[in-house]
Amino acid sequence: MSQLNYRTINIDALDPESSTNFPMESLLPANLPQAASASDAASAATQVRQMLRGGDPEGALQTVLDTAPLGGDDRAKEVHLATVIDVLQGIRQGEMTRILEGVCSGDGGAERADCLMKYLYKGMSSSASGSGAQSPKKSVSPQATGFSQIQARNLGEGGGGQQMSVLLSWHEKLVEIAGTGSIVRVMTDRRTV
Amino acid sequence: MSQSLRPYLHVRSSLTAALTISNFASQASERHNTPQVEARDSPELLLNPLHISRNENEKVFIEPSRNSVRVSIRIKQADEIEHILVHKFTRFLTQRAESFFILRRKPVEGFDISFLITNFHTEKMLTHKLIDFVIEFMEEVDKEISEMKLFLNARARFVAESFLTPFD
Amino acid sequence: MLLLDYQNVLIESLLTERFSGYASATPVSIDQVVSDFDGVTFHLSTPESKSKILISINVKCFKELVQYGAQEVLEREYGPYIVSPEPGYDFSVQIDLENLPAEEEARNDLIMKLALLKRNAMAAPFERAFDEFNKLAEEASQYTSESAPQGIKEGGEVMAIHYREEEAIYIKANWDRVTVIFSTVFREETDRIFGKVFLQEFVDARRRVLTLQNAPQVLFRNDPPLELAGVPGLSTKEGEVSYVTFGMARNISTSISVLTRAVLFPRHLTAQRRYENISHIQTFRDYFHYHIKASKAYIHTRMRKRTADFLQVLNRARPENEERERKTASGRTFRVQG
Repeated sequence: MSQLNYRTINIDALDPESSTNFPMESLLPANLPQAASASDAASAATQVRQMLRGGDPEGALQTVLDTAPLGGDDRAKEVHLATVIDVLQGIRQGEMTRILEGVCSGDGGAERADCLMKYLYKGMSSSASGSGAQSPKKSVSPQATGFSQIQARNLGEGGGGQQMSVLLSWHEKLVEIAGTGSIVRVMTDRRTV
Repeated sequence: MSQSLRPYLHVRSSLTAALTISNFASQASERHNTPQVEARDSPELLLNPLHISRNENEKVFIEPSRNSVRVSIRIKQADEIEHILVHKFTRFLTQRAESFFILRRKPVEGFDISFLITNFHTEKMLTHKLIDFVIEFMEEVDKEISEMKLFLNARARFVAESFLTPFD
Repeated sequence: MLLLDYQNVLIESLLTERFSGYASATPVSIDQVVSDFDGVTFHLSTPESKSKILISINVKCFKELVQYGAQEVLEREYGPYIVSPEPGYDFSVQIDLENLPAEEEARNDLIMKLALLKRNAMAAPFERAFDEFNKLAEEASQYTSESAPQGIKEGGEVMAIHYREEEAIYIKANWDRVTVIFSTVFREETDRIFGKVFLQEFVDARRRVLTLQNAPQVLFRNDPPLELAGVPGLSTKEGEVSYVTFGMARNISTSISVLTRAVLFPRHLTAQRRYENISHIQTFRDYFHYHIKASKAYIHTRMRKRTADFLQVLNRARPENEERERKTASGRTFRVQG
């Protein structure tokens, strides 16, 4: 113990009264749905894909947003995200507005709009980093010069451009319908998707 | 503005949403008032960060908090030349951060340039104009980089041809 | 100024002034050190009398140049003017203002010749390579390309001129061409990338522009070219040295060397073209670096301007709070007590 460097200890972390130890769970509402597992998400995915194939994109989108695993673990959320993106990519550009209007109206429509907004942002963040890890890293310099002060990075047009443009046009349409308030709710809602 | 760039500039709505900030003193230390997004001493004051990406190499990252917002931009770099030009340009800008008020002196890791907007900035300046600035920056910086690259290639071509002509 | 001059402009103007002024004005003493590219320095002075101008040159690689026949070239060019070298310098000539050529034209020729001192000193290895080429070409013409004996196929020895601290020119004659190789060091990442863009254009220019079909072929690479690696004796060693320079550069992380090779074909080597081409190829390295620097400077001014534009946009966000003068009904104004 005598070797311990007391200067490097974050004493705030040890103090239950400290603001860094704010109980984040208290920000979640009490009526959070039951925690969903990855298998639950997978079964929801099969159901949704069936609807999509059956020519009911509006119903598919509505179901996928209603079954969002707000209380689920990371694995379940990931599976569900993939489903949502599949649905979004499966809908043609011309139908977007019509379907969105249908999904975002009626009982729980505002909830669904916020949920979709969450998925749009999540989709843009996750696949941006995810596809980066898979694509082979191209080094900037043809030879390892070793003296660059600049961090190495992937060059080129970058992957995921196709998917991004789909998400961006959904984003544009959704903001038109749900407004900026929806984005604020994405930022503040601790029930992440 | 190209058609494909237009949805990307929907960053505007995200920024508008994120810039709903107001004064908030530190909860951790008495008489301190620091941007929460940097100090990070109360987790409940940090909001969910937002990504807006066009593709892997062109992203905007917005980190909102109770009294400040950090906006980071990753600028498109298609090759080595653009890479060095972006590096030089952002360096040039950050060295003049003092006069840019909202420019962060060091970009967030993985990005080329970052802005830190606090409630004090939004109190003194017009928020929608600040957003205009960020958007215009994003538009102009791409244009500037590609113009500089074109210039460099044109000059190199001209220089090479002029040198070789006397041999003819 | 796109292309660089071959002569030293300072010497040229200095001598022009002295030569023309000599008849009317009384001579003045000179003591001036003049610098040129590649660390070359000149010393112009009037040590004995005011009418005798001594011009001395100091070249880093003079020993190597002498080895390749610089002394003979300089004697040919400056024969009657040569004096023993001034201490600290490699070569000196002295001009007597009282014995100048009478005609204006001859005088101007002399000025130009003196201003080209550096060019002439550096020209020796090139001239030797061109002579060697002529000889090899003649020998080779007796054989078909398959049956040519080894010596002719391989060509002459590689001449190395270490004209700068870490940079060198290598010259090699073959029976069908003369190869000139420049090794250049880039100290900075930006220079390296800009240099690559420029060199690529040098390589492509010949292919792209129809009028340049006859220009020398330019190639560049980061490792020693075959000419330097495969030749026995001195050249092998040189090849290794330049490769080591490159390898070292990686370890000490400061520099990158690039070898540029210009291949001169027979059409460049005819007697009347020779003089011009030797002068021109000597300026390659400085020309190339000069334009990299110029591009950087331009890009810098561009960034400065763009930054000012951005600031203007940002300043639009600051509300204007004009201090408007307020008046009472009777026309009196108030001033805030500071």
